[in-house]
Amino acid sequence: MAKVAYYPGCALNERSSHLDRSARDATVKLGFELDELDTWTCCGAVPPVSKERVMNLIAPSRILKDVRDSGRNVLITICDFCYNTLKRTNYSIISDEIIRKRVNAFLADDTPERDYLEKDDSIWEDYTGEVRVIHLMEYLRDELGYDKITENLKRPLKGLKIAPYYGCVMLRPQNEIQLDDPENPSIIEDFITALDAQSVKYPFRTECCGSYLSISSPDASTRLCYRILTSARNNGADAIVVSCPLCFYNLDSRQKAITEAYSDFKPVPIFYFTQLLSLALGVEYGRQGFEKHYVDVTPVLDKIGISTGKGGEE
Amino acid sequence: MSENLGLATPRNPPVRLTRDMVNNGFKLRVNELSGQNTDACYQCGNCSSGCPLAQEMDILPNRIIRLVQLGQREDIIQSETLWICASCFQCTVRCPKGIDIQAVMDALRQIALEEGVDHFGPDQIDPEQAAEVPQPGLVGVYRKLST
Repeated sequence: MAKVAYYPGCALNERSSHLDRSARDATVKLGFELDELDTWTCCGAVPPVSKERVMNLIAPSRILKDVRDSGRNVLITICDFCYNTLKRTNYSIISDEIIRKRVNAFLADDTPERDYLEKDDSIWEDYTGEVRVIHLMEYLRDELGYDKITENLKRPLKGLKIAPYYGCVMLRPQNEIQLDDPENPSIIEDFITALDAQSVKYPFRTECCGSYLSISSPDASTRLCYRILTSARNNGADAIVVSCPLCFYNLDSRQKAITEAYSDFKPVPIFYFTQLLSLALGVEYGRQGFEKHYVDVTPVLDKIGISTGKGGEE
Repeated sequence: MSENLGLATPRNPPVRLTRDMVNNGFKLRVNELSGQNTDACYQCGNCSSGCPLAQEMDILPNRIIRLVQLGQREDIIQSETLWICASCFQCTVRCPKGIDIQAVMDALRQIALEEGVDHFGPDQIDPEQAAEVPQPGLVGVYRKLST
């Protein structure tokens, strides 16, 4: 089975490990394997705040260099934060010669210190941005093709109305990310269609959910999430699909605070895109980690006949 | 949730311009850190109208840019806006003059943090939330809002 280098990132490695599992299950069904890097560290979650802070580029650059050194040139992530950070780091290294030199000078000094690695006597080669960082959804769209998903559907999600939620860092800043149109994207809509579900149009799909403000200003994030969720619901969505563990957390867990603050609020179940994918490809219901969700997803899945013990090939 | 409905009291600090103030190098420092030319801004207001958090801010993003042009360092670094911006890049995408406003905000945060005050420290987080929020949120908040 073809293997593609895979960077899970910290959230999917631990707190959201059920999302990581669903991604691995789904890709095996599609005929390729996510091959986790032997050693990796946190990427830093956000790119450095200014050009002066070159130090913050070291961790992501080291990850990318390790991928290059292992003879591969494509790295898949499924977390929008990792995707954004790694891809923008790569962009800085390609486009800014001074940053490239400084980062490599540090890495060259630092590598001998990493005594947990096997001794490597090969000649030092600067990392110059050879690795392409791609999102799993981008891989499905461009490398595999969404048709391949449709061909392999075991449980088409027919009858499900799903609202795509892009959030902020998956598409922006567009000159560096270039995944899709930042104002009128279609990558998740096409993904939903490929699963035989119906995508719902609503105005807040690219609007921020509050991101890390969920920690520093939770009330602000609650208000943003209320707006997004209510808009999706009013436009007829049964559920929302996201591609970022933090959006997932904000939109899902924050519904507790939203219910307390707004009497008219009706909960909306949230899915990670890999969960829908692996469900549709016939992976067992019990492997999706739905018990970790704050909002119960079973009523929505019951609606289309997918539930514990019934429907599809268990 | 607090009683406050999220409408921050708008602040329009009175600006008394002096030559020293405008030429104090603040704008140059912001431009240098962010790699942007803030003088390109012609105050169309697209950044503020698209900002999902504008209603929580005391100084709107377009006004922040204007205050940068005028060297109003104190008003900016005391503004809540810097800590409410979630770095979602909506303003950056929509700026017709191609200014990466998010980068300007980052530069301003860095300048404010260089004053030595962390806006948000580990002691301020709700322990219950700390135990369950995905790590990118934790790392992100400390990287953006503390030194």
